[in-house]
Amino acid sequence: MQAFQQNLAKLEAADTQVLGVSMDSPFSNKAWAEKIGVTFPLLSDWGGDVTKEYGLYNPQYKAARRATFVIDKDGKVVDIKLDKEAVDPSKTIEACQARKLNR
Amino acid sequence: MKQALLAVLLAANLLPALHAADQAAPPTPTVKVGDVAPDFTLTDQDNKKVSLHEFKGKKNVALAFYVFAFTGG
Repeated sequence: MQAFQQNLAKLEAADTQVLGVSMDSPFSNKAWAEKIGVTFPLLSDWGGDVTKEYGLYNPQYKAARRATFVIDKDGKVVDIKLDKEAVDPSKTIEACQARKLNR
Repeated sequence: MKQALLAVLLAANLLPALHAADQAAPPTPTVKVGDVAPDFTLTDQDNKKVSLHEFKGKKNVALAFYVFAFTGG
């Protein structure tokens, strides 16, 4: 999430809202957001319903797989990055910039 | 001969490990490019409800699933 925070201005310039999601509690997310200076929402999927709906629930860790979805203004998924590619936001930023130009 | 036997034994030892690795394969996203993203309402770090549909027609959303708070990524 640190990398997304560092690139927040670029993402916002591409008309993009960043939302982090994990199966942590809101309390844990608050402490972490303060520690690393995250200003965008970190959403608590306590129980994992949303994580499961997106097919990202990893029973081995009882947590989500690292993944970043880009959802356009029509609510459609236009880009998915997994694992290491999801941690580095550069390709996600490109996808968001492309969507900005298309609209 | 001894070496061949050792190789067979080693391979036999590895088989359960391979099987275990197969079972622990990471989940594959069921939401694909082109799908309508399933809506949700979740609570953020300030106890505020945030729904995906709030951004429809207004902004793209970069929805970043992470494994745990207090870890990298």
